[in-house]
Amino acid sequence: MKHPGRLTRHALAVAMALALPMTASADVGYNELKKTVQQLQKQLQQVQQILKQQEAKVKEFEENTVTRAEAKALEGEINAASEWKDPNLIFHIAGYADVGYVDGGNGGNNKDGSFRVGGFAPIIHAQYKDLILLQTELEFQLNDDGSTKVGLGYMNINWFANDYVALGAGKFLSPIGQFRQNLHPSWINKLPSAPPGFGHDGAAPIYEVGLQARGGFPIGSLRSNYAVYVGNGPTLKMELEDGAFGLDGIDAEGIGADADGEKVWGGRFGILPVAGLEIGISAATGKATATLNETTGSTLSNQQARDYDVLGFDGVWKYRSLMLRGEYIESEVGRATTGSTASAGAKWETWYTQASYLVPSTKFEGVLRYTDYDSPHKSKDQQQWTLGLNYLFASNVIGKLAYESNDGMNGKPSDDDRWLFQMAYGF
Amino acid sequence: MNLSLCSKAGLAATILTLSSLLLPLSGTAAEGDFSAGAMVWSENCGRCHNIRDPLDLRDDDWKTAIFHMRLRAGLTGQEARDVLAFLVASNKPARKSIIAAKASTSSGSGKLDGQAIYNKTCIACHGGNGKGLLPGVPDFTDPKGRLSQNDEVLIKHITEGFQTPGSPMAMPAKGGNADLMAGDVRAVLAYIRKQFGN
Repeated sequence: MKHPGRLTRHALAVAMALALPMTASADVGYNELKKTVQQLQKQLQQVQQILKQQEAKVKEFEENTVTRAEAKALEGEINAASEWKDPNLIFHIAGYADVGYVDGGNGGNNKDGSFRVGGFAPIIHAQYKDLILLQTELEFQLNDDGSTKVGLGYMNINWFANDYVALGAGKFLSPIGQFRQNLHPSWINKLPSAPPGFGHDGAAPIYEVGLQARGGFPIGSLRSNYAVYVGNGPTLKMELEDGAFGLDGIDAEGIGADADGEKVWGGRFGILPVAGLEIGISAATGKATATLNETTGSTLSNQQARDYDVLGFDGVWKYRSLMLRGEYIESEVGRATTGSTASAGAKWETWYTQASYLVPSTKFEGVLRYTDYDSPHKSKDQQQWTLGLNYLFASNVIGKLAYESNDGMNGKPSDDDRWLFQMAYGF
Repeated sequence: MNLSLCSKAGLAATILTLSSLLLPLSGTAAEGDFSAGAMVWSENCGRCHNIRDPLDLRDDDWKTAIFHMRLRAGLTGQEARDVLAFLVASNKPARKSIIAAKASTSSGSGKLDGQAIYNKTCIACHGGNGKGLLPGVPDFTDPKGRLSQNDEVLIKHITEGFQTPGSPMAMPAKGGNADLMAGDVRAVLAYIRKQFGN
């Protein structure tokens, strides 16, 4: 080779000339690459952030959303609950009970006071759809000697024929007046005792056995309610005094057999002119026959059926915490001219008026009642003032303290004043 | 007493009653109405006994109890269904579930104005004049009464239900109207303040 050094220099020069642009090109690529990576990193962070947000949303969605399996399980629970709620036949137990303390009364036998079990009255309802309701009330009472008396208060089967009529048959509370059919349960009655004349052997019928139609209907803008019935009616108790029979009392507690075959018709009509005010009129008429000689305890038969008539008026007005009510009932039995117990007729008559006031923002309630009861027997006539103070543990659990000032025949139970305490529970 | 008059009156009443059975039935009975039921409940039940708390019984027990009371109180079938609708809507304690919580705290403005809500849901117990119709129900017109409390407290009471001290029963959650949204509750409170506040 003639000029080897020269050739090498030329080659180096060419190489350098080629290498210079290549170095510049590498610098540009690196910067672009770096920029791209940075952008990708930024985008990755954004994606990660979005993913985090999505994860939170998914988590929230999962927490607030039921799965198909969970929905099915829930549906099963609802169906099971519906079995309790919507069967064709529903049984229901309600009722009331009361216990207490009585000081005085009972002809002086109770003057030092006694704890009392007033009664336990479970009520059983059996309802078939919206058509039929069987209702029965049992009565458990503790006697003075410690024995227990069990009775069938009422038992009737009712057919709700339409919105305005329910037809019932069986033994039912007498619809005469208000106290016996609606106010006698101890958790409803605002005093521990019934007004004289509204208890047993009083002026007001208690039960009837027969057929009854009840319901309500509007009269224009007014409400009204009614009950009409036909039943066996009461029987009569006779007493033998000085060799002659006289009427002793009316047994109107639901007689299971009609001794004279003569039915008693009756009913009540109530109207509500304004909210809170109800006025009612009641009446019954028919025949009743003597079946018991109260003096000897023997039964009587083949006695003449006597006229039997009942008339009653009642009213109640409620305004906020104040309630006023009153009721009048008379039961009249005609004379009998034939039969071994032929005697004059007689009339039982009673009325009461009652005011009660629930002190606002407290659970204390004051009650005042006046009753005047007249019977054919002067020893049972009674005028009574009763003053009571109640404490409402709940609307259906009531503690009652009352004082009865009684004015009757001297030496008779009807003349004894009493203190009464009662705890009444409606359930 | 005129016996024949009594006999005729009883007979006439019975015939009238029995003949009403011949009236055509209305086909399908109308559903119970909450507002009408609240009114029937507040105007009738307390005439004989203390008003029972709707929370006392569950739905199926109320159903039979109301049929029993239809007989006792002489209610019409429609009145009985209305009262039942009110009671079964009012015997639910304040719901604690997520869905209920969402619904009750939602900012939804609701569909009704305050006056409409008051007249539908509240008036049966609180009365048209805000003084309260039933024992234990507070008097909204009392300057030192319930409305002297702030909105937060009152909204909580309306939403969750509240028992006034001394009252035998509690106001049910949302007055028994579970459909009310938070906006509805605010609207009815605003109406109550405007109408009865001092």
